[in-house]
This record gives sequence, C-alpha cells and structure tokens, in this order.
Amino acid sequence: MNIIGKREPRVDALGKVTGAAKFADDYNMPHQLYAAVKYAEFPHAEIVSVDTAKAAALSGVQAVLTAKDVPGSNRFGLGGDIRILADDRTRYLGDVVAVVAAESRALAAQAIDLIEVTYKELPAVFHPEEALKEDAPKIHEQGNEIVHHKLRRGNVEQGFAEADFILEHRFTTQAIEHSYIEPEAALAYPDEQDGFVVIGSLQNFYTSHKAIAAALDLPLSKVQIIQSTMGGSFGGKDESATMLAARAALLAQKTGRPVKMLNSREDSIRQSYKRHPYILYYKWGCRYDGSITAMELKAIADGGAYVSMSPFVTWRSVVQATGPYHCPNVKTDLYAAFTNNNFTGAMRGFGSPQVNFAIESMMDELAEQVGKSPLAVRLLNGFETGSVTATGQRLNHEVSLKHALLEAASASYYGKKWAENRLTKNKSNPIRKGIGISCAYRGVSLGAEGVDAASAVVYIQPDGSVNVSSGIIDMGQGAQTAMSQIVAEVLGINLNRLRFLQPDSGRVADSGPTVASRGTIMGGGAAKIAAENVRAVMEKTLREMTEQEQADFLFENEEIFLKKGNGKGKRVAGFDEVVARCYAKGRPLFASGVRHIAETNWDEETGQGDAYFTYVYGANVAEVEVDTETGRVDVTKFYSVHDVGRAINRSMVEGQIYGGVAMGMGYGIMEEFIQEEGQAKTLNFDEYYIPTALDVPYMKAIILENPDAKGPFGAKSIGEPALEMAAPAIANAIFNATGKRILNLPANLEEVLLGKKLRRKTPRASVSCKIGPL
Amino acid sequence: MHYYRAKNLKDILNLFESEGDRVHLIAGGTDVLVEARQKPLPQDAFLLDISQTADLRHINEQGQTIHIGASVTHQELAESALIRQSAPLLAQACRQIGSLQIRNRGTLGGNICNASPCADTVPPLLALNANVHIAGLQGKRTVPVAEFFDSPYHPLLNNGEVVSAVSFAKLEPTTRTAFYKLGRRKALAISRINMAVVFKMTEEGFLEDVRLAPGSVFPAWHRVSEAETFLENKKAQLSVFEEAGKLVADKMIAISGRRWSTPYKEPVVAALVKRTLAIAAGVYKGGKL
Ligand SMILES: Cc1cc2nc3c(=O)[nH]c(=O)nc-3n(C[C@H](O)[C@H](O)[C@H](O)COP(=O)(O)OP(=O)(O)OC[C@H]3O[C@@H](n4cnc5c(N)ncnc54)[C@H](O)[C@@H]3O)c2cc1C
Repeated sequence: MNIIGKREPRVDALGKVTGAAKFADDYNMPHQLYAAVKYAEFPHAEIVSVDTAKAAALSGVQAVLTAKDVPGSNRFGLGGDIRILADDRTRYLGDVVAVVAAESRALAAQAIDLIEVTYKELPAVFHPEEALKEDAPKIHEQGNEIVHHKLRRGNVEQGFAEADFILEHRFTTQAIEHSYIEPEAALAYPDEQDGFVVIGSLQNFYTSHKAIAAALDLPLSKVQIIQSTMGGSFGGKDESATMLAARAALLAQKTGRPVKMLNSREDSIRQSYKRHPYILYYKWGCRYDGSITAMELKAIADGGAYVSMSPFVTWRSVVQATGPYHCPNVKTDLYAAFTNNNFTGAMRGFGSPQVNFAIESMMDELAEQVGKSPLAVRLLNGFETGSVTATGQRLNHEVSLKHALLEAASASYYGKKWAENRLTKNKSNPIRKGIGISCAYRGVSLGAEGVDAASAVVYIQPDGSVNVSSGIIDMGQGAQTAMSQIVAEVLGINLNRLRFLQPDSGRVADSGPTVASRGTIMGGGAAKIAAENVRAVMEKTLREMTEQEQADFLFENEEIFLKKGNGKGKRVAGFDEVVARCYAKGRPLFASGVRHIAETNWDEETGQGDAYFTYVYGANVAEVEVDTETGRVDVTKFYSVHDVGRAINRSMVEGQIYGGVAMGMGYGIMEEFIQEEGQAKTLNFDEYYIPTALDVPYMKAIILENPDAKGPFGAKSIGEPALEMAAPAIANAIFNATGKRILNLPANLEEVLLGKKLRRKTPRASVSCKIGPL
Repeated sequence: MHYYRAKNLKDILNLFESEGDRVHLIAGGTDVLVEARQKPLPQDAFLLDISQTADLRHINEQGQTIHIGASVTHQELAESALIRQSAPLLAQACRQIGSLQIRNRGTLGGNICNASPCADTVPPLLALNANVHIAGLQGKRTVPVAEFFDSPYHPLLNNGEVVSAVSFAKLEPTTRTAFYKLGRRKALAISRINMAVVFKMTEEGFLEDVRLAPGSVFPAWHRVSEAETFLENKKAQLSVFEEAGKLVADKMIAISGRRWSTPYKEPVVAALVKRTLAIAAGVYKGGKL
C-alpha cells in the first residue's frame, strides 16, 4: 500500500496552525444580531407566564421569543422531549425560557434581565435511585423511568449455586463535562430563496438539520446546514449544539437578519449534557480457580432532564457489561432515570467507561481473592476467536484480546512490578508505587442501535485535482485525513491532490451521526466505495485506450499500469492524462459511495443477538505513585494497546490514544461535574479540573493490526476504545499501591484517603480564588 | 472605563488624589480580570495599572534586609538568585503558582492584596516575619504581614493606599526552610493546603526559632504558636514532627470546628506539617514530591 498506514500530515493542519481555520464564531455578517438566553430559575417548576414586554421595548432589541413563538416543532431529540425553549415547565437549570436578539451582546444581556417569568415551583429530584421510587415527583408524564434494558442468559441462580464464593460491590461513577475547547456557536441567516442557512459547530449535523427545519416549519431542502471547522466535541455537540443553533435560526427567521449565538464557557457547562453518572451493583459467582459462574448487574444511570441518548448509552452498557469474559449465566438490568440534573447523553465511550471501571475492578478483586495475578485471571476468562458473548454472539473475527493483554504486560514489565509493589506495600515510605491492568472489548459503530449507513462523494476535477466530501465530520479526530488517505490509495495519487470540503447538508446524503467510533469504518468505507466508483469510470476509458476489454489496472504513484497477474505490467498513462481523456469523452469523474452494514439483530426482552457487526480489543497498563498521607495520585506511566484492524495513519492513531489516555485519566482521578440541588458548581475550568500537560504521564501507544473484513483496508476503530479502559487501570494501580479498592470515581484526594467524597454544604462565591480551596 | 499605566509611585499617588474611590489597582490582573468576569467593574472605574511602575519592580538587599517591590512577578522571584539563596521557600512557593503564563503576570503585591486564604506566597512571608510597606496619601507605613489581613479577601488597606514593597530579614545560610503545596493537579491548581516552615537547627540537631505557617487551614492567616513553642529546643525527628502536626490539626478544629472538609483536612494537615518539617530538617524519607 502506498499511503495507508503512513504518517501523512493531516489535511486540515495548515489552516489550523496558521489560524486560517474558521470556527463557528469566526463567521460574521453585516447587520448581524446577537442572541442571549433567559435561564430557568428553578430546576423544576411550572411556567405560569412569561412577560417579555419590557425586554421587547428596549431600544436595539429586535426580537424576544418564547416557546409560543416557535412556528414549528419546539421539541426534538430521541425522546422528542428536549425543548428548544421551555414550554410547560423547566426541568433543569440549563433550560432556556426565552431568547433575545439585539444589536449588541450587551444589549441582549440587558434585555434578558428585563424578562419576568412567573413560576410555580415543583418538587424536584436529583438522585436517579430516588427518582425511580413510586412517590418521586414526576418529571415527565410517563414517569421517571427512561428505559430498562435487560439481558438474560443461562440461569444466574444456578450459576451462583455452583460458585465457590460470591463477590459483590457497589460502584459509582460521576458526571463529567466534555470540555471541548470551542464552546457551542452558530450563525443563522436567511438565504435568497425564503430559506435559512446555519453555520455551526455541530457534531451530528444531519440530526441538527432535521430539528432546525422542523422548528422553523420548513422542508429540509430549505434549511442548509454548513459545518464549520470544529474545536472538539467528544460526543458533546449533538443536542446541546442543536439547541443553540435552533434558537439562532428561530431568531433569524423572526428578524430576517443574521443572528449570532455563542455560548460562554459558563453557558456551555450550564446547558450542555454530560456523561451519565452510574450506580452499579455487581455480583459475581466465582470459583477458586478464578473462573466465573455467574454475573448479575443492576445499574441505574442518571439521565437528567431529558431522554437524549440514554436508551442507546445504557444499551451499550448492557451489551458490554460483562466485559470480554466468558460467563455462562448473566442477568443484567440497566435503568436510566429522569432527574432535575443536566441531561446526560453521548460522550466518548458512550456507556462503556462506567461498566468498564466496575468490571475491571471486579476482575482485579477476583484475582486478589483467588491469589492469582490480575493478568492471569484475565487470560483465564478472556475471549478468544470463536467465543460467544453474553448476548449470544459468536465472535468470528480475529479476537486479539489476549494478544493485547500480553503486549501491554510485557511492554510495562507488569508482572514483575505488580509483585514488587506488593512486597513494598508495608514499607514506611508514604508515597507508594502501583501498577494496574485493564482490558476491554467494544462493539464497533452503532450496532443494533440504529441504521448504519454513510455516504461520501469523490469528484476528480478536469485538471486532476480532487474534492472529497463526506457526511462524516471532522471534529479534530482526523476523519478528513483518514478518508483522504483512503481515496488517495484507491486512486493511486498523492494526498496533496485532495481537498476536503466542509460538510453541508445539501452536499452529501444523510450519513447518520459521527459517533460510536464509526468515522473511519463507515465514512472511510463510503469514501473507498466512492473512489472505486470514480475509478471504474476511469477504467472504462483505460480499456478503450489500451483496446483491451478484459484488462485490469493498477493505480500507483500517479500513474496507471496494466495489471499482470497480481503484479505490475506495462505503464498505460499518467493520472492527469486519463482524467483528461475521461472528460474529453463526456465522462465527468464524479461519484458517490454509500457504505451500509446491516448485520446486527437484537431481542429487547432477553438481550440476545448479534449486537455489533464487529468488535475491537485493547488493554491498558497504568503506573502510579500514591501519596498515602494526602490521597494524591500521580499517574507516572501509561501503556495503551489497541487492535485497530488497520492503522490508516499511525500518527493519528497514536494521537487518538494519547488523547484518550489523558481524558480517561481525567475521568479516573480528577474530573467531576458537581451539581448541588440541580445547580452546577463547576461552571468553568477554574473549578472543573482536567489534566494539564504536566499531569499527563509518559505514554506508550502500541498498535495491533488484524484487518477486519468489514472495514476499509481492514480498519476498525480507536476513538472511544482509547479512553474507555484507562480509569480502571489507574484504579487497579491504586489498589496495587495501597491495598484500597476505589469504588467511586474519580479517585481524587478524598476518595483515595477516605473512600468517599466530601461535599461543601455552605454556599460559596463563584470565583475560586475568592472561595478558598476546592 | 479609564485605563492608565503608572510610571512611578508619584503617578499612583497623584491619581489617588485626583480620582479618589474610582481608582482600581491592577497589577498582573490575574485576579482582577477573573473577578471582573463575574462582577463587572463599575462603568466609571479608573483602572490603574501598576505592573510597570518602576518603584515597585525591585528585588534587592539593603544590609541584612531583602526588599521586593510589589509588582515583581512570581516568575521573577522564582528565578532570582538572591531570593533562592536568602529565602528559598519563597522562591519555591512562587515556582508552584498557576502556570508559567500566570507566573509571568501575577505579582507578589497582587497575591497578598487579593488575600485569598490559599494564596501561596503568604505562608512563606509569615514564616519569614516579613513586613509590608504601604504608601498612601497619608504617608508611608509598615506593618508586619501577620497584621496585614483583616479576614479572607480583606487586607487592611485604606482607600488611597498601595503596597509598595515587602521586606524581610535575610535568612542565615544555616537556616532550614521548606514550602509544601498540595493541589489537585500539578499545575494551575489552587492550594488545597500549603505549608511554610523556617527554623534553625543546632549542631546537635535541636530546633530553634521555629516558625510554622500553614495556608488554607485557618479562616485568617496566622502562624501556629502552640506548635512552634512545642518544637522549640526539641530534637529534629519524625516523632516530634508528628506531634507538632497533631497540634496544628487540633488548633484548626479548635478554631473552625468540625466542617464538611474536616475528615480530610484533619489527618492531612497533620501529615503535611510533619512532612514539611521533615523536608526542612532533611529527614524526609518519602518518595518523589
Ligand atoms: C489560572 C490561575 C491560576 C492561579 N494560580 C494561583 C496559585 O497557584 N497560587 C496563588 O496563590 N494564586 C494563584 N492565582 C491567583 C493570582 O494569580 C495571584 O493571586 C497573583 O499573585 C495575583 O497577582 P496580580 O498581580 O495578577 O494581581 P491583580 O489581579 O492585578 O490584583 C489582585 C488584587 O490586588 C490588588 N492589588 C494588586 N497590587 C496591589 C498593590 N501593590 N497594592 C494594593 N493593592 C494591590 C488589586 O487591586 C486587586 O484587588 C491564580 C490565578 C489564575 C487566574
């Protein structure tokens, strides 16, 4: 292969390093208005009336909208319950009751203060287990249970009866903020034909497109969404970004003028959805040899105010809740509940980081109980090619779990260090070393969650330069580069011929969301097909040129050769020459490609079926130093091994791994979105701590490649796998250092020292420097 | 809003005279600007930038006394050979503030005038028995740093006054010092607890002239005389330091009562007193810090 696997520079690098890249807030237009929002004043209240008269009367204010002013559908999302503008009630403090468009930001803010809302406060609930009780205040008419997924396999009673001993733990995980560097922003403006254009920082612009058109009461064709260069998303710019863009579009429609809406960091954190906090009750039946006879899990996810992605997030948890381990008897019940907290939705990992933390901690505990090394019990119980998962799916591809585990262990000298650290445990040094291992498997792409199709378009211009567009978006992960490399490989050309166009709702067919680590496997798959379709047109011309009707061709290094067996035959022509010939014959080189995979099935009642069309496998090892007198954890080294099927670009795969480890480490030891009675306490990065460059450890990324039949050139996924098993590796390292099992994330100072979190009860000011230490 | 950059101390006093209460001093702005985001400055505010004021930018020694101008930045202090030699704990504290960007802007004067209970330079200054020099329309005055604070965020400064400098007696080369900061991450972390100690050690290893100043522990800044008295003339060893740690933790509870954070702070304050003393005495056996 010529380009696949190479460390090619990113196709978007130049714009980003020179500052030419335009993020949503960089778009401005003459006569543009600025929008501001009026927030809910109670986490749960009936909206009795909204008085906007004073705000509307303020000079320079061009529009004030409430839910009543929305011409089309005010509600959107998976559950059809997310309000663009709160209508009947407020359900969390990030709800927006009214929006204003004014000549300046300051004026808009001033107008907001003039809006008067009368509420009838309702009892609120902030804890998902309480929300599921009979007498809990109902947040939506249908009750507080968003979803209950089940998985039943074998017979757990019998499995527990066969066990030598039972392991049981309650784990909790926290809400976290995506922390994309670019807060949500959009510019909406009327076009020339009675329609609207929205330029925005949107992760899933096809879903945004539908919600915005429905709100404006316009056909999809009259609303054009243009994806600006994105400053990160991590799953976060779906509904939150749609809300903002829809509000801007409604104001543009009302005023007939361009409207800019930009979230400050505080707005962003206040409104946006978070990673689901989970409460997990795990019970395992185990044998003294380290094998597992039964697993039972009940878990409750805090879904917050709206459905959002809760059904899908928790579904992935159900599929993966028993980890990559053999277990004949499984009973899983996963609930998501409404509360009056920020709603929770998609975030890198999507339901796996929570269960992985628990399951990998349990596996470590099992090793401890039976006196084996954590690596040994994983090798004993782990999946191999042909294994059958808890959902009854036979894994027919190359299952590289054990290979990944062994690579991680040998690169880190895991066995030796693990044993040594245990010996030194009781020494007088308060700062102790630990090493921990984890592994996981992950279903690639959407799985039985949804229709899985993506599209791409390849257009070879008459001069031989190439435009590629796709419905899969680049939010910084490098999707454009991966797709470009795939197209360049198929056409045998250099990457510098390619220019990737920004996604646009009118340009490429609905490709579904850019989520679930499906960008390369699905978008790349589509790009490959599009390139092959274009190449087929060139081949037709080539057959005419060579007068060989049966000939096959090799596209390589910008030239085309006859194929001779599997090798290279005579040169036929240069790439440009063939392109020119095609155009001369009236054959423009423009083709689209659609990649659709529909090999999944699912039974809701039993949780059995082929959940995903393929899986990836990985293993992590973390080394830590734990200050046993303060609870401070220093992650010193990290080894991350992933089977990606095929690395399209090694540097980018490594980048995903490094970023995933940093983010997973934040989840493991410091990040926590704190709400008290529904009120967000960590509204900016002075209080919401994420790892800094100094906190990130030495990292070693190890890439395994077992090409998968379903992926373009064998490629699978890396985005989410990179993050999803980091936290338990750290938690297990803390155990190795201290003998203390971390049951609640994050493993911050208090958790490590005391085994619990401490919460400030007194009110405090908002500037951290003014409130004293957190 | 007006903005003016003062070239010298006289400029500052002149503006105090002409603009009165409207004057808001800004040095590095690393606190002022964060606060202005939450609570905007009044429309008619007169922002007086003292970051480049020549008379506030010195680090020098006059006899046995070190003088530091209020507008000297944390990075300048961390890098100053004089400070590293004669008050190493202050240089260590400055090195751990915020990030390089913050240290390049943030000043010593701003840190003490903001008077946050977790300010990192205050424990070292308390342990150094530093004096704060204040200039104002009513003339100059000097107060010990221990008497400079009313309550958190409230330095005892009158309108029309500016801190011009901080001074302290040079430490003798044999004096032992240490500064310890516990944060939630390695950079850009507000101190959860910080600690400064200064003492002399006799050749036989006995402690003299012990000064112990914890930060983020008490509602108001002060040293812990109970622990200092206890340590006086004691042998520098871990069991003694451990005892001192308990005294500080007890004192914290005596003053503040048991609060939400006490289950954590009680053992950790004790441990960090012990650790900081041990580091200063050279008997700390822990791992990498
Ligand atoms: C990201 C970040 C990280 C930080 N990390 C730390 C940290 O680790 N440790 C820490 O201690 N602090 C930290 N801080 C707080 C801040 O940087 C320090 O307090 C700094 O020393 C303030 O100095 P400044 O010059 O920026 O003050 P400014 O913001 O300019 O002023 C602060 C206050 O002091 C007043 N003032 C300033 N100079 C004088 C003077 N000479 N006379 C009278 N009044 C004066 C001002 O009017 C204002 O009220 C951090 C701040 C940020 C934004």
